[in-house]
Amino acid sequence: MSERDSLAAEYALGALEGADLARAERLERDDAAFRAAVARWRADLCALDDAATPAAPSPDLWTRIEAQSHAARAGAPTPARAPRAALWESLAFWRNAGLAAALASLVLAVGLVAALNRAAPSPVYVAVLNAPDGRAAAVVNVHADGAVELIPLEDIAVPQGRIIEVWTLQDRAQGPVSVGRMDRARRLKLDLKTLRAPDVNHLFELTLEPPGGSPTGKPTGPVLMKGLAAKSV
Amino acid sequence: MDARAGIDVETAIAACAAGDRSALRALYDREAAQMLGVALRILKRRALAEDAVQDAFLRIWSAAASFDGTAGQGRGWIYAILRNRALNMLRGEARVDLVDDVEPLGLEDPQESPEAMVARMSDASALKRCLETLDAARRRVILLAYTDGLSQGEIAGRLGLPLGTVKAWTRRSLLALRECMG
Repeated sequence: MSERDSLAAEYALGALEGADLARAERLERDDAAFRAAVARWRADLCALDDAATPAAPSPDLWTRIEAQSHAARAGAPTPARAPRAALWESLAFWRNAGLAAALASLVLAVGLVAALNRAAPSPVYVAVLNAPDGRAAAVVNVHADGAVELIPLEDIAVPQGRIIEVWTLQDRAQGPVSVGRMDRARRLKLDLKTLRAPDVNHLFELTLEPPGGSPTGKPTGPVLMKGLAAKSV
Repeated sequence: MDARAGIDVETAIAACAAGDRSALRALYDREAAQMLGVALRILKRRALAEDAVQDAFLRIWSAAASFDGTAGQGRGWIYAILRNRALNMLRGEARVDLVDDVEPLGLEDPQESPEAMVARMSDASALKRCLETLDAARRRVILLAYTDGLSQGEIAGRLGLPLGTVKAWTRRSLLALRECMG
């Protein structure tokens, strides 16, 4: 194999990064012989894809694809995905919509102000969040009126240039959703208004993220603590 | 595999290029479950894997006209789109590995070994026959790259090998595979 054949093979395998990957992508676009070599490798390697264990997609996956395929052909901007999963799933949407992050911050801020004004009677659900070493590091109280509050039990070391982002996971299909951010450990009202009320076994977790929150809309940094909600007596 | 009997993938891609949404649906019925299985191996989390499959089908739909492969290369094209999307999510966007320790976030069960993957490949596959001619360590390097989507550096870390060794084994193994498959 020539050097270029090797490049085509490693490209089809998925082994390239950085400058080599960029070069292969350029050749695939511009060089018919390279493109043919890559296509041949892909057809051969596909036998490995056939050996993966199939998994049944969610019932609504086709619905989402079909809805977006209309938008794609019409040349319309990509709409948010299903409301159930908009925050979590629309990576491209967030990336492309320059104002989205600012808007999300605004919505969050408004939600926080509203939440802060709410009274907080005794909680109906409680989540104890544990640090990786097992220490209880914070609690989340869920009150009957829907207010949700995070109360740290100890200080959190936040590296320079990082903030703390709070996530909840209500179901796996949806994935984690950001419900609050803070620059240091403090009491924080969580904004769950686009979500269901917390329930038993809903997960809460804190991660370190860049200023302004995770750039992907999903947790990207190390997990500081996590815990599941349980019904209080 | 009955669902696969009905349609010809290259024909369906051409129909997608012509705007026939029922052809996209036919591809979905034929391949979506298998594609989700492939994406799950790479991304480990179901919500992310479904994202990758969704994005792949939208890409298939919008880029169908650019498919210029010959007969028998349609599925390779489709799975390359899926794998490309999944690898971008894994390496560029999501950094899912950092939160993999949170069990309730949908981490799938521990995965079967690369050897078990090879065992499940079709006996009619030239790739299987040729993978079996590689020694086990080199075969593992190839499988970790393809089926798990690991970078060369990650494979080196996982197997405790120098990066240069992983790169050399990858290159030579691909060469051997090409010679074996013809």
